[in-house]
Formats: sequence, C-alpha cells, structure tokens
Amino acid sequence: MKSLNKEILKDAANRLLFDMNEDEYDTLLNEFDAIQRQLNLIGNIEGVDEAVPMTFPFDVTITYLRDDVPETPLTQEEVLRNAHDVKEGQIKLPKVVG
Amino acid sequence: MKHILDLTIAEIHEALLEGKVTPLDLTKEALRRCKENKDNAFEMIIEEDALKKADELSKMPVPKDNFFFGIPYVAKDNFSTKGYETTASSNILNGYIPLFDASVIKYLNEAGAIMIAKSTLDELAMGGTGTTGHKGITFNPWDKSHTRLVGGSSAGSAVSVSDAIVPFALGSDTGDSVRKPASYSGLVGFKPTWGLVSRFGLFPFAPSLDHVAYFTRSVFDAAIATSLLSRHDENDSTSSYKDRPNYLNLDSSVKGKKIAVIKGIINSITDKHVLNVFDKSVNFLEKNGAKVDYIDFNADLLKAIYPAYVVISCAEATSNDANLDGIKFGPNYGGKSYQEVMFNARTKGFSALIKRRFVIGSYALMRENQNEVFLRAQKARRLIVDACNKIFESYDAIYCPAAPSIAPFINKTSENVSEDFMIADNWLAIGNFGGYPSITLPIGFENDLPFGANLICKPFDEINLFNISLKIEEGTGLKNLSYPKYMEEKEAK
Repeated sequence: MKSLNKEILKDAANRLLFDMNEDEYDTLLNEFDAIQRQLNLIGNIEGVDEAVPMTFPFDVTITYLRDDVPETPLTQEEVLRNAHDVKEGQIKLPKVVG
Repeated sequence: MKHILDLTIAEIHEALLEGKVTPLDLTKEALRRCKENKDNAFEMIIEEDALKKADELSKMPVPKDNFFFGIPYVAKDNFSTKGYETTASSNILNGYIPLFDASVIKYLNEAGAIMIAKSTLDELAMGGTGTTGHKGITFNPWDKSHTRLVGGSSAGSAVSVSDAIVPFALGSDTGDSVRKPASYSGLVGFKPTWGLVSRFGLFPFAPSLDHVAYFTRSVFDAAIATSLLSRHDENDSTSSYKDRPNYLNLDSSVKGKKIAVIKGIINSITDKHVLNVFDKSVNFLEKNGAKVDYIDFNADLLKAIYPAYVVISCAEATSNDANLDGIKFGPNYGGKSYQEVMFNARTKGFSALIKRRFVIGSYALMRENQNEVFLRAQKARRLIVDACNKIFESYDAIYCPAAPSIAPFINKTSENVSEDFMIADNWLAIGNFGGYPSITLPIGFENDLPFGANLICKPFDEINLFNISLKIEEGTGLKNLSYPKYMEEKEAK
C-alpha cells in the first residue's frame, strides 16, 4: 500500500477531475490517520485474505432476454435541454484539435 | 386528532371510502403543513400540480383496494421526477430537470398518490446526519430548539412523516439512511430486500448497497407500500424476477419464532434507558411465545462493518458520480478544454465533504492499494454476510436497538471519519451488505425524544419481518407516532 502524503491525496483527487484547497487536504490527511487504523481492523479478521470478494448481496442470475418492444426515443431537443452550451443540435465544448 | 391527515395510510383510505375527506382536503392540509414546517426539510414544494391532481381525483370514485389513492406523499430529492428540478441536495446538479420519472414515482403517481414536495438529503445521499445538503442543516422536528439532528441521509423525508405533513415518504438507504433517521424521529423505516423494489431513476450512490426505502407511521403501512412498489422492472437489471407474495396477508403471532439478539451490539450501548426499554420489548416477544437468544458474533467482524462500508461505498460512488461533469447537465463554469470544463464543474460543484469521500474511494481503487483496501473490504463484507446467513439458518430474525441513543446534538456530530464510533451506531449496514429486509420501529422515549429498534430477516422474508414487527408494535403501542400527535396527547394528560 502506498504510504500517504498530501501529494498522493492530490493525485487521487485529480484522477477524479477535481481539486480541493490546502485546508481541505489537511483535513483529509488527518482523517486518513483514522481511516488507516479503521482499515487495520479489517486486516485483523481471521482468514479475511482467503475470502472471496463480495460484489453484490447475492447472485442474481438472469437467463431471460426481454422482448424487442419499439419505443419512442427522446427528441433531440429533450436530450439537450439540460446542457449548458448547445449549438446546431450538439453540445458545444472547447476545441480539441486546432 | 386535528385532521384525518394525522392518521395512517390504511385509516385515511377508510375515511376516503366513507366520504369523510377528499384527496383535495388532504392535499391542501399537507401543503399548509409543509409550508409551515421550519425544519429545512424541502428542496421544492409542488403546490400547483398537486392541487390540480387532487382536484381531479376528488371527482372520481375511491377504488376500494387502492390504498394510495389520494394520499399526499413526499419524495427524497434523489429520485428522478419528470419536469421537477432534482439536485440530490448538491450544487453540481442545480437546475437539472429529469426527463423521466423513477419507476417508484411512476407507480405511486399511477396509483393516485399525490407528490407534494421533494425533500432534502445529505449531499448525493452520502452522509448520515442530515447536515450536509446544499441548503444547510435539516433539523429534528421533535426538538423545536433545533439543536438535534434528524439523521440522514433521508433527512427531509423523515421530517415530513414525523411532523405529520404526509403519512408516507420515499427515501433511499445505502448504509442506514432511512432506518437510522426513523429511529431518531419515531417512525417506521423499512428497507426491502435488495432487488425487490426497482431503483430505476434513483440516483446511484453505491449500487451494490443502494436500496429504495420508505418512512411510514405503522408497520402495516410499510406493508401497504411494499404491495404497491414491489414488482419486477425491466429497466432495473438487478430487479428480482421472484413472485411477490401478498404482503397484506399478515399474522402477528410470534409463537415459535426464533429471534437472535447480537451481544456485541448490545454491549456497545452505554445508554441504560435504551437497553431497558429494548429488554422490555424482548420480554414482550417472549411472553407471546417467541424464543429470544442473546448470541455471540465474531467481534472482529462487528468492528469491520464500518470501515468495510466506508471503503465499498466511497469506491463505488467515485465511478457512479463520474457522470456529474457540468457538460450534459448541471452548472458549467467554462474552461480551455473539455477536461478543464469537467474539472471546474466538479471542483466548484461538490462540497468539501463529498470530495473527501471521493478521494477515499479513489485511494481505495488505486492499483497499488486495491488488494489491501478495496478487495479486502469486499472480502470482509463476504465474511460478515456469511456470519449473518449462518444465524438465519437457525433464527427467523436478528433484533437489536437501531441506534445507541436518541437523536444526537448537531454540534457534537461530525461527518468526518473518526475512530470515535460505536458498533451500535453502524451495525445496520449489515442489512445492505446482505441485501436483507430490515425495519426500524419506535420502542420508547427519553426526554420526550423517540428511539427505535431494528429487525432484520433473510432475503425475501418480508412477511416474517412484518409479522414479528406487528407484534413488537402491539407491545410498544407506538403506532402512528408523530410529534404533533405526541404533544397533543401529552397536553391532554
């Protein structure tokens, strides 16, 4: 596991495309002291590393394919209604090339 | 009783059938109370459309077997509602107006229930105090000095039912977000089995743990709501195909039922009054023929509930909330590139608390940490659920206090992760880990503030859960509890 410092927390935040101010990183660093100790509690469980990770409460097996039912899709106007910048029927963003 | 709106759903339905009240009367009164409430419980009050629908319903005959016809209700603001701004109490969603209704909203509306408001929550449902929504702190209606929290994340929905504004409110429950506030506000808070009620249109937080859940003022009302809302939904890939039984065919006899009380949870509670009142409800069950055993549960597993929950929920949240980018919807603050547009929207749109939660999730998912943090939490979840399933091989239900105390003071509460926690404060998350049906119901008072107990059964065993809960409710006599009714009765004495 990576040892922790503010740079790692900044990296973790930036990977998710946001930033925090210095005070917020300090608060989080303090919080992480407690988190690390909490995580150690998980490590204390006998046989934890041999267990199979649980991703859902119980298995849901679906063997059924639903019928193809024609539906009326949303209109272009509806789909774009919540977007901030719209031009010629498309969401407008800063240029990527040139 | 001041108004028929003060009754339970079942009782209001009788009054509607007998012509003692109309949907319009009920809706006008609910809106009046909604506007009078001072607990900061609402994102939006839906007056015009609610009155219009109520007026239309008032001209129609009341269907005998449709309990929700003409019933005003409130929905937590993380359910998509077509045409009504839905923000999940987060600034990143300010101005977002969904294009469709969540399935549960659709079912309620089709049944003739009348949505009168969208309620506040901890931002994006990621909190347990009701203090972190973008409109500020939501207060406990039982404490008019506004010093105590109502709990969260379904804070405004809890206020709506416990302040007798409506008899039913939708919430969501990822760790205990309906069942804990239910304890703090004297309500029945019910989370059905994972997959029983569709989550289509509920803003996802951590889908392996998220459930639609709801507040009522009686166990039978929770069963009524389950009858309406529990159905297979093709729009939710995790929706169960199982046949649903008749949830209203209940029998409160507990003779021969076996109930387990987990000693490790009880031992972490220091409030003697809570323990005494809980013991009384256990004695009542025993007197009525149930066999109640105080059982051991691996202490290391109990201690791991909270950290495993934090890791799994924060990690799942990071990917689910990746769509909040300020491009398709939500405030856009510009930028030189599309990445910068997203970066600015997320930096300005999320509160400091939410960002810290996301960083915990991001850290847990980093390749170099995954084995020791994320996967280990998922492994702990497996062992905790295995231990619970083992209990359900011999017992009908697990029963313990829902929280270690009455509602805490706001100024003594923090959403920061700390070691200062008790097992009894976090144990309800086992209901989410295993997808078990779980119900909180009031059992007593301390200084005129309510507290509750919680019952958990194995998946899809709702009937058993409701039956045992009905007996507990019979023992406490705390059916249809609300702050106004409690005060009225107190003054009458």
